[in-house]
Amino acid sequence: MMENYSDTRPALSLVELNLLVKRGLKACLPDTYWVQAELSEVHAHYSGHCYLELVQKDKRSNALVAKARGVIWHTTFCRLRPYFERETGQAFVAGIQVLVRVAVDFHELYGYSLNVVDIDPTYTVGDLARRRKEILRHLEAEGILTLNKELELPVLTQRIAVVSSATAAGYGDFCHQLANNPFGLVFYPRLFPAVMQGDRVEASVIQALERIYAEADRFDVVVIIRGGGATSDLSGFDTYELAAHCAQFPLPIITGIGHERDDTVIDLVAHTRVKTPTAAAELLVNHLYGTAQRLADLTDHLYQVVPDRLQRERERLDGWLARIPGRVQLRLQREQFRQERMVQRMEQAWRTRCLREEHRLALQPRLEAALQARLQREAHRLELLAQQTEAASPDRLLQKGYSITLKDGKAVTDPAVLQPGDVVTTRVAHGTFKSKII
Amino acid sequence: MAKKETYTEAMKRLESIVARIESNELDIDELADQLKEAQRLIRYCRDRLYKADGEIRKMLADGKDEEKKSDSIG
Repeated sequence: MMENYSDTRPALSLVELNLLVKRGLKACLPDTYWVQAELSEVHAHYSGHCYLELVQKDKRSNALVAKARGVIWHTTFCRLRPYFERETGQAFVAGIQVLVRVAVDFHELYGYSLNVVDIDPTYTVGDLARRRKEILRHLEAEGILTLNKELELPVLTQRIAVVSSATAAGYGDFCHQLANNPFGLVFYPRLFPAVMQGDRVEASVIQALERIYAEADRFDVVVIIRGGGATSDLSGFDTYELAAHCAQFPLPIITGIGHERDDTVIDLVAHTRVKTPTAAAELLVNHLYGTAQRLADLTDHLYQVVPDRLQRERERLDGWLARIPGRVQLRLQREQFRQERMVQRMEQAWRTRCLREEHRLALQPRLEAALQARLQREAHRLELLAQQTEAASPDRLLQKGYSITLKDGKAVTDPAVLQPGDVVTTRVAHGTFKSKII
Repeated sequence: MAKKETYTEAMKRLESIVARIESNELDIDELADQLKEAQRLIRYCRDRLYKADGEIRKMLADGKDEEKKSDSIG
């Protein structure tokens, strides 16, 4: 059955055939072409070249409908990669959609492949945005999108669970900023280490959140931070699972994952989003300072209303003094003067005390107690005085059997003013009678 | 959680004392006592904000130890 065609029929060697294919392709597809595809494999070779696998999937079934190998040569790759990652905030890794310009290549030994010469990051950005939107729609449909935002930041944001990489500069900056806040406020940060870059981000951050959840009552707030690097790989923060965890977390979450581009999904579901770890620390410091300020205002107010209250008490005493009979006004005025000075001294003492309080936090209530005692003593003195003056009134003297003798309505204090035959009126406790001088 | 409520509670009590002094509601006899209470509350709140609480630190440090253990096991 075996026949030897070599002599009778012309045949090509495989190399010859492949070279024909190569020439044919070159002739048919001489240009470069923009192609949309998904990266299914990315291998950055130590030589500096990057080997890829590009695929297209059926939109409904997700089954592969096309596949091609690709390569980005060293000189192109070292330029394209940083450009792409800077523009998209996304690492050049498998699993993303790209728009690349390729030259179609065929090598007699290695076969068909696409030589990538350019990339358009905006396409990937658009795709990521679509994905984020999709996740957000999903969260909204489940009714959990805004749950974390609806939590109220507690008045004390001191016990802080920090999800970050222990070695990242971001965590150090964050702690430094808290520890050196200009107001001397106290914070208690505790690190829950997590991988903040690469494809382990999602699982690692979720794990950290679960550890915090187990002792959630020990913390006031959660902070997810990482130092901003030159290149960013934020795709791990754009996943449904992580977003769902964050949205439903029982403590408010603050994100500061150091990037400039559009928000990631966890930024969008977090209670508050800031750009950097330092900004997250500032936010917490300012929030607690607000709490401290409310306390300081209230304290100041207290030190204002107390003298006001004492002043009102003084006015009350004044009113009371004004009702005392005129005869003893002079003496009472002296007493009132004393009273005034006492209240002034009290106020002075109070003011001095307030000033002192600004420097010294420990407050001693003894002064106020002493002031209070003084006020009561003075009131008591006034009461005694009133009793004394009442005792000195003419009616009381008449009751005791003394009498007043009047001539022409004036009290007689010297017998020399009387002449024989003068009629005088004598007033006693229960009436008057007339007498004639002999 | 409980401590947080206590701070909020202390602030509420403080506010109510100041309001009572202001509104003349307080008898002068009560003033001294209320002042004393107000100052105690202020001291408490300030301590929470400005003084490191050893208990909290210890609690968080405990947690850290546990974490290290579990990390080293894992």
